[in-house]
Parts: sequence; structure tokens; C-alpha cells
Amino acid sequence: MAADLVTLSIDGKEVTVPKGTLIIRAAEQLGVEIPRFCDHPYLDPIGACRQCYVEVEGQRKLMTSCTTPVAPDMVVKTQNTSDQARKAQVGNLEFLLLNHPLDCPICDRGGECPLQDQALAFGPGESRYVEPKRTYRKPLPLSPLVALDRERCVLCARCTRFCDQVSGDRFIELFDRGAAEQVAIAPGEDFASPFSGNTVQICPVGALTSRTYRFAARPFDLKFGDSVCPHCASGCNLRVDVRSGDVVRHLARDNADVNEEWLCDKGRYAFRFPDAEDRLKTPLLRDHGLEPVSFDEAFSAVARWSASGRIGFLTGGRLCDEDAYALSKLARTAFGTNDLDHRRYRSAHVPWQVEAEAAAGRPLTYRDVERAGTIVVVGLDPEQELPILHLRIRKAARAGANVVVIHPRRTRLWDVGHHILCRPGSEADVLERLSAAAGDFGGERHIPGGDPEIEPAIDALRHAGERTIVIAGTRLAESPGALEWATTLAAGVGGRFTFVSRRAGDRGALRAGVHPLFLPGGRRVDVDSERAEVEAVWGASLSNAPGRDATEILEAAARRELDVLYLVGVDPFTDFPDTRLARHALENVEYKVVQDIRSGELTPFADVMLPASPFLERDGHFTSWEGRGQRLKRVRDPVGLSRPDWEIFQGLSAVADHDMGFHSLEDLHDEMGSLLGGVEGRTGSAERFPRSADAPLSPDVPLRPSAPPTASDGLVLFTYPLLVDEGRLSDDARELKEALQDSAFVEIHPDDAERLELADGSPAVVTTEAGQATLPVRVTANVAAGSMFVPFNNQGLRMSTLLSGSFATSVTVEKVES
Amino acid sequence: MAEFEPVLTARWGMDAPVWIDEYERTGGYNALRKAVTMDPDEVIEEVKASGLRGRGGAGFPTGSKWDFVPKDTGKPIYLVVNFDESEPGTFNNRELVERDPHQLVEGIAIASFALRCHQAFVYVRGEFLYPGQVLERAVREAYEKGYLGDSVAGSGFDLEVVLHRGAGAYICGEETALLESLEGRRGQPRLRPPFPVVAGLYQSPTAINNVETLSNVPHIVEHGHEWFAAIGTDKSTGPKVFSVSGKVEQPGNYEAPLGTTARTLIEGHAGGVLDGKALKAWTPGGSSTPLLTAEHLDTGMDFESVQAAGSLLGTGAVIVMDERDCMVEAALRLTQFYAHESCGKCTPCREGTWWMTRVYQRLEGGLGRMEDIDLLVDTGDNILFKAFCALADGAVSPVTSSIKYFRDEYEAHVTEKGCPFKTRAQREELAAVTPRGAGVEGSIPLSEVLT
Repeated sequence: MAADLVTLSIDGKEVTVPKGTLIIRAAEQLGVEIPRFCDHPYLDPIGACRQCYVEVEGQRKLMTSCTTPVAPDMVVKTQNTSDQARKAQVGNLEFLLLNHPLDCPICDRGGECPLQDQALAFGPGESRYVEPKRTYRKPLPLSPLVALDRERCVLCARCTRFCDQVSGDRFIELFDRGAAEQVAIAPGEDFASPFSGNTVQICPVGALTSRTYRFAARPFDLKFGDSVCPHCASGCNLRVDVRSGDVVRHLARDNADVNEEWLCDKGRYAFRFPDAEDRLKTPLLRDHGLEPVSFDEAFSAVARWSASGRIGFLTGGRLCDEDAYALSKLARTAFGTNDLDHRRYRSAHVPWQVEAEAAAGRPLTYRDVERAGTIVVVGLDPEQELPILHLRIRKAARAGANVVVIHPRRTRLWDVGHHILCRPGSEADVLERLSAAAGDFGGERHIPGGDPEIEPAIDALRHAGERTIVIAGTRLAESPGALEWATTLAAGVGGRFTFVSRRAGDRGALRAGVHPLFLPGGRRVDVDSERAEVEAVWGASLSNAPGRDATEILEAAARRELDVLYLVGVDPFTDFPDTRLARHALENVEYKVVQDIRSGELTPFADVMLPASPFLERDGHFTSWEGRGQRLKRVRDPVGLSRPDWEIFQGLSAVADHDMGFHSLEDLHDEMGSLLGGVEGRTGSAERFPRSADAPLSPDVPLRPSAPPTASDGLVLFTYPLLVDEGRLSDDARELKEALQDSAFVEIHPDDAERLELADGSPAVVTTEAGQATLPVRVTANVAAGSMFVPFNNQGLRMSTLLSGSFATSVTVEKVES
Repeated sequence: MAEFEPVLTARWGMDAPVWIDEYERTGGYNALRKAVTMDPDEVIEEVKASGLRGRGGAGFPTGSKWDFVPKDTGKPIYLVVNFDESEPGTFNNRELVERDPHQLVEGIAIASFALRCHQAFVYVRGEFLYPGQVLERAVREAYEKGYLGDSVAGSGFDLEVVLHRGAGAYICGEETALLESLEGRRGQPRLRPPFPVVAGLYQSPTAINNVETLSNVPHIVEHGHEWFAAIGTDKSTGPKVFSVSGKVEQPGNYEAPLGTTARTLIEGHAGGVLDGKALKAWTPGGSSTPLLTAEHLDTGMDFESVQAAGSLLGTGAVIVMDERDCMVEAALRLTQFYAHESCGKCTPCREGTWWMTRVYQRLEGGLGRMEDIDLLVDTGDNILFKAFCALADGAVSPVTSSIKYFRDEYEAHVTEKGCPFKTRAQREELAAVTPRGAGVEGSIPLSEVLT
């Protein structure tokens, strides 16, 4: 037997488990359920509730199975075979119920309550307690999202331990002691964690409830289905609960490889958008106004307008992999164009190999993050952009990993990571200095020492070596040389690299080739052999000229070089960093096709509107930042005539005389499989692009940037979307916005504030080439000196109105004279 | 035993507190000067050979504990002195410090030297304002005289001592809760293993010793283990300061060899039961140890003998109750204490002590039922050895032991619908504030239940 396995017996049955396994987990493997409240597989053992007692032969006292690791030849007797254990468990449940209010009929948890279930299965049946119960005012709002009913609380401390151990934001804590012990929050404070809803889900009673769900449903009224969260590329496994056709709740499904049992609050609470009043229910065609028509009428119009092939496609982040694939094929086979793009960053500073590898492979996973020795995060604010990745980085840090964050703004990894705050655009400089030091591991080169900002990062890299991973966000795409240096750094220490984007559909779109340069699987349109592989499957001859990227498509539309602008789940006004360009494009291009879930800002411009079904009304896949394709299932019927995007593309292809042949999802999957190595992308065509562990990029291409990044003088304004903002998928998520969204603000470094005589809290006029806005000032050393941060789309300011093509821009700031 | 010379209390006749000049004049710090010339392991061996056992209640051999502290982990080694003396009936630590603080300081210095510890902490019970001040001055004096700080007694061995005042929680006397509190967190006990000797304060090897335990150490070093082991019994060696309180003529701390009988302590040292009344019950080691009765008075006050009699030596705190005392009321008060001091972390302690308090209130208030007596016994069984730490086990002691010896008094509370030891007026007053059974409107605020 392997030395790291242990065999023991539980209730007379033998089981072999890894050394260190807790008895309660070993019992689960045998199908023996030991009741528990405080125990949670993703939290440290605590042994607080004392419910899970078992008898262990040779031990004087009963043992809590949630804190006791197995030992060789251990003989364990659970409540099934030990009177002692059973009496202890019954007694403990009686204790837990003493002060529990038994208001189950009106409790949100009733019917799905671990206390209820375990009291039924393991409890005494009746109580000997005749005195009055402990009472508290109920419920206490902890935030606009979470309410606390202290009477129901069994003080298992799952919620407070989650905040301490997982999210690392200890808004709530146990106060007082003895029977008066209670979960509480500092007076006047809100439970303003973007992960607060997880405490509700792991609460074993109805003490913590979601205010969005209070009294909304009984569990037995719900219809639910498995899905994947559409809000970002974290890939969280979701359960969508529907009552009478309306979504009432999102819950996390447990997946140890992905989101464990967590969701961010956006994923949990931004669930109302599919039920919005302005859902598109039928195709609309502009006559005098927008008139309902059949799909075929709408398709005919689009086919007619775009017969020239002068059509460009832009997509947003909500498309499933199937949609992206169908569009990739549609654009090229039906319209002969490579003018399609899913990105909102420009490709100028992105080495094509970086995207090709992301398109084809699966360079890094959550598990790799967990196991890493040093994690370098650059150009990414994980908490705000990929919240579950943020949690995993924290988990790794707790297990001893060093975290280095290179970013213009301090992130919520501040307590576990070393931050190098650098002005946007100077990331390459920092990465180059780290790479230089990393290259010195063999002792050949001089380490540039003495810089207290850099030193800890060098130490971390030196310590971890090949156990280093570098996670680069898409904002690096605007930073000259940064991605080259990031890959060079990873390669230099023998570590691994990944390029991650934020939105749920991004990775799938890249993989499918919703991209001017790439066909499915990261195959280049301008490389004959790679194009030929796709042509063989599609049975069509494809253009070998790379198309326009998103900005170029908008520019071409503005110059009337395109006849049709086809917008799929994207709003050029908000999604791209140039509102003026968006307006020019929409006002000038002849025909606008808008394919979306809901009517909106583009409606007045649209010549055709095509109703698409949101994630919960369809089958499909989302590919997460890892490159993991995960299946979502249809939870409810599509609203009106709306259909999945891929079906719309298929319909259009047929009317346009280039039938793609996708008459079922299976057809589509078969074809995707032949080009992408399976729907889930587990194998993919990664062999064509070796993983970064071996060689970060194709070796025949120079990795070093040709020119060093240029440092510009003056202030730089940079922006990125915060987790909860005015984005359309969080429309109607009132409580979420109230809890987690601030009105627009500008953050400025104290040195700059002093120079510009700006006081914290005072208004300032921010002027860029594109426009002007007055914003309240936040003076903080959490932004790099010389730079300023404004959230991309918070209430009160749509940042795209101040930008002219880039997410960073030079800026002047003046205080408002009163 | 008649010729027993006080050891720990030898300076108690002098002006209190004994400051450093007087302490040095009477032989103080000789032991430290001797210890620092020895090999640290030799000091540990000496303490081991003396048989000294922890005086905080558990009676764990002190030398062995020091031996178990790994010395080569690369982490600092800490000594934490548990001066959170809060056990009802126990007050010897307090007087040891108030009268002869340098004896403790010297013990700390020697223990630290033996442990290779350069940073010692004294966790002072929050309510101990005066003893804390005395100890603070003594530590300052020791620094000034070179017994603490850089190069202790010229040995080259450095030692810093920090006093830390608690915030008034009984649970913080539990050593792992003490460590949590010392680190600035909620005072709740930690999961074990790892044990503090391996991963204690700041996850570093830590020895935690009681004040009285450490006060013995200078004497062992000075006079040798054989001298020490000759005091007391075979397995319970050395002197002990017994706190005697309750219904005795002269409550106070009395030093005697371990093994001295309770009768000697109560009838001899403490002058007998107050007003010449008959003794009804007594605790051998504070309120957490099961009660004993008059028939146990000849029990030797050592770890083994008390255990044989069905209780525990604990802190050696003898609380005497006489024939006028109501055992139900006594158990109620103690149960209230534990309910008030329960940290809340685990279910049996938090809820069980609360429940027992309520049952006792009904019994005292005349609303008891005969089945409540067995209910208390069964509740005790559901708590005992099932809580997170020993606090709850202590809470069960007065309940089960009082029922065991005085069930008739419980029954009388039921049959007489109230406390037989109270007047009619007192009973009516009590009944008016007693929580009723289920179905009665108006819950009693927690504050009233717990105070």
C-alpha cells in the first residue's frame, strides 16, 4: 500500500483514503452521513458545533469527526453503530434547538435547511426545553443584500470564517460570548463584500438570508437547472432557480476545480436582466418604425443589404461558444469577410502568439493557481474583473504562495500580495527589470538591487522559480511591450504564463475565431496551411487577408466603407473607449443589425433587431479564462420568438444561400469538435501551440520588444470596469448596486493632489481630448503617482465619453473654484 | 509534616510587597545566578527530577512540558505566564504576586533560561489592577538590576518580559484562549493539536505555566530536586498554597505540603467552620471540581488522593459550605457563572449552561418538576467531555456532584415549591422573577438571566 494512503474501518466497513483525511470525509466516501453544521469542506476545521461526534476505539472520549484525521487501522463507530455517539448527537441537536425559533413556516430556508433535515434525521424528535427562548430583534439588515436573523443562528461561524479565510474581508465577526454570542457588524457599517452572498448559501440555517429572495418562494415551488454564470470568465457553476417562469435566485453549484462553492455577488444577485420589460420578443424590421416581422423577412433584408460583403461584425461578452463558432463561420463563408471582432482592446501591442495560445490551449487552471509558488498578476484587478480567480489567488497565498501585483491601482490582494504600483504604460519597464533579475538565476547577470519596490518581487521569483505563474489581463494590450516582457519573465524563470480576459464569452470567441486574424483554434487566416484545415472542414475557400479589428470596423463604418454593421450583444457607446467614434459609425453606416436580448440604446439606430435568448433559455457552453468549456442547460423556455444566437446565425446563413448546416446543436458540436478537438476544449489544438511550461511562444518569433516603452509626462487617466456598474446585465439588480456601486469618482495620488491643490471629497474638473466631467476627488496612495483612476461605467459617468480609442489617456485636472 | 517550613510564602510576614532590595537581602535571585551557570538542559532535568507538577489545575509535570518544547525549529520560543487566575475560590496567584512578586520574576527568568526563551509574556487577569501594578514595578526593578533584559545576571542570556492585561474573561485562563487573546483575537480556545508546546503563541513553540508553578522554580534550583521531592507525597511533590474560603472562621491562603488533609486545612489553618456549624460540602480545587462532603475531609490534598475520592485537586481551592447553605442555590450560582463565562464557541457549553441555568432558576423559584433533577443529570452528561474545552466539564461538576450528594434538597425544592432555606417573603420575591414554562408571554432579557 502506498505510504500516503490510510485504511480504517467505519461502522465495520473498510475504507482507504489519503493520509490526513478527516474522519467525516472518509465516512462520506462510504456513504455514511455524519451530521454537521460548522464543518465545511472549503473552510478550516473548527470543531465548534460538536454535532459530528463519533466513537473511536481506544479513545476515552468521543471525537469530533470534522477535526480528527484518520489513522491506520482506526476503528470508527458513527451514530449508526455507537449508542454513545448517537446519544451525543441527539443531545447536541436538542441543545441547538433550544433557542432556535422554529419559525420554519416563514423561513426562507424551510424545506432546504440543514438544521431541519438533520433534526429530522438525527434529532430527538421532541424537546425537553420548556422555558422561553432567547429573542432578538429580527431581521437585522447587514447590507442591501444580506439580512441577519440572530434567533435562527446556530453560531457555527461558517459565515465569519468565510470572510476571514476565503474572501479576506472581515466585515462580520462574532461578538459577545456565551448564549449571547452573535454574528454582528460594526455599527454604521455595511457588509460591503463583493462575496457576501456566499455566507447566505453556506449558512446551515435561515440566519443569513438574501434580501432579494426573502419570502420570494418555497423550495418546492422552484424549478431549477444547471447553468454557468454569464457575468464574467470565471466559469462559475450556477444553479438558476425559477418560480412561475421568473428567475428568483442564483446559487453556486459545487465544483472543486472551478468555483468551489463560491459566487461573487454580481453572479448571485444580478439575475433579473432576463426578465426585463424590454426583452426583444420578435424580430423587428424598420419600415417607418420598427415593425414585427418573421425571422425570414429579417434575414432576407440582412442578406440583401450585405450581398456586397461590406459587412462587419462586433460581438459582446455574452455569446456562448456555439454562437461564436457559428458567427466565425457565417462571416467568412456567407459574407467572405474577416471583419469580425469580439475584443475591446486593440491588437497593436498584443503578440499574436499570446492570443493564439489562449485560443488553442489551456495554459493555466485554477488548480495551477492553487499550486503555484509565486503568482504574478499584471494588468488585472482580479477581485473586480475575475472575482473567483481573486479568491483562488487568496487561497494560494494562504497556502504560502507569494503574490506580486503589477498594476496602477492597489487591488484587494493588498493584504496577501506585494504591489508594484506603476503608471499605465510602464508595466513593461517593471517586467523588464524583473526579467533581468530572473535571468540572473544562473548567476551570470547582475541583479539590479536596492529598489525596495522590486526587491520583494525578485525574492518571490527566486524562491518559486518554475513554480511561478504570470497572469496577464487584457489591459496590458494597451501597454507597449508589456505582454512580451510578461511572457519573457515567465519563460525566464521556467514558469508559466496566461493571458486572461474578463467577459464570459471572450475566451470562447477567441477560440472560435471571432477575430480578424484567427480562424477557429487560433489558426491564422494568413497562414495557408492553417487556413486550409478550416477550409477543408467548412468546404469553402476563405479570404487570406486579415480583417479589421473592432476599432477599424467602427472607423470603416463611419467612413461608409461598410454597408452593414452587425452588432451582437454589444453597445459601441459603452463598450468601446470612444463614444464619438461609435456615434459616427452608427450615424454613417447604412444598415445596422442589432442582435440582442433586450431593446436599448441602439434601438433608434437599428434597421433590424433580432431577438436572442439569454444564457438560461438555451443550451450551450461558456469557455472560462482557464480555457475550460462548461455546459449550460436550458432552465426555462425562450421568451417570445427569441432563440439562441447560433440559431439566428444559422437561419441567416440559409437565407443568404450559404447554409452552414447546423440543424441541431449536435451538428454544430460535431463540426466544432473537428476543428477545436471537442466542445469542451480539453484537448483542443494545444499541441500546435506548446504550453508555456515548455516554450511560452512559438520559438521562431522574437519575444523581446523592439523598443522600450515610452514614458509620457503629465497625468495619465486610466479606467476599467468595476465589478458592479451600470452594465446592462446588472440592470434591475437594485440591491446589488446599492450595496456595491458608488457614483463615479476620480482617485488621485496624494502627491498629485497636493500639487493640483485638490482636497479629498472636493469636486474636480477632469478634461481629456474627448471631453470633460466633474467628479468627486478621492485622494489615495492606492493609485500610482502620476496616474488617476475613474471607474469605466459607474453611475454618473460613462467613461467612454472621455476616451478617444484607448482605456488610458492624458488628462488635466482642475479643482472647482467655489 | 509538623516541621514544614513555608517555602512560597516565606516572605509573607514582611512588609508587602517585598521589593527588590528586601528580596535580594533575603537570598532572592541567588537561584537565578546559579541557574545561568548551569546548562539549560540541566535546569530542565532538575525541575523534572523534582516532580513539580503544574499548579494551574491539570497537574502536568512541568519539567516534561519544558522538555517537549522543541528548541531547534528556527522559530522563537516563548514563555507565557498564565496569571489569569479566575477560578471561583482561587486566589493564591494573586497573593503570591501581591506579596512577593520577585519570586515569580525570578522563576520566569530561570524558566526562560532553561527554555532558551528570549521573550516572555505575563497574561494578567484584567481585574487584577493592583497585582498587575506590583508585578510591573517588580519587573522594572529586575530590569534595572540586570536580572532581566540584556545579559540576564551577567550571563549573556537576553530576556524581555512583557505584561499583558486581559479584558475580563474567565475563558482566557484556558491556555489556548489565552494565546488567542494575547495575539489580539477573540478569547476562544484553539483546536488541538497542534499543542502550544509545538505551535503556540504566533505559531511558535510556547510553554505556558501558572504563576504558582513558576514561583516554585527558584527554590528547586536553589535547594535541589531532592529537597523538593521530599515535600508532599510521592507523586505530588512540593508545597502548595491552598486558598480556603467560604464558611470558615479564617478564610485565606495557607501553604502546606501537597497531601495535607482537607481537615487540617479547614479545621486547622482556617480555624474551622464558621460559627461552629456543621460542614455540608466543599470543593477541593475550585468551583470546577466536583463537590465533596464531610465524609471526605480526611482526603489528602494531592492529585491522586482527591481523584480517588471522586473529584480533582484543580487549583487546590477549598470552598466550604455549611449546613445553612442551599445546595441548589449554590449550584445555580455556579451554573450562572459558567453560563456567563462560556465563550460561546461550542454548542454544549453555550446552550447547555444556559439551559441548566434556567432549570435551576425554576427549581429555586418554586416552579421545579421532579423530572428536572434527572434532566439536569442528563444535560450534564450531554455536556461532559463533549464541549470544545474543559470549561464546560467544570460547569458540570457542581451540578452532578450536588445532585449526587444532595438529591434530597433538590426534591425538597419541588415538593415544597420553593427553596426550603428561604423565608416565605424571599420565596415570593423570587417566584415573581422566575421564567415560566413555554407558552407564557414575555421572554426574560438575557441580561437578567445571566446576572
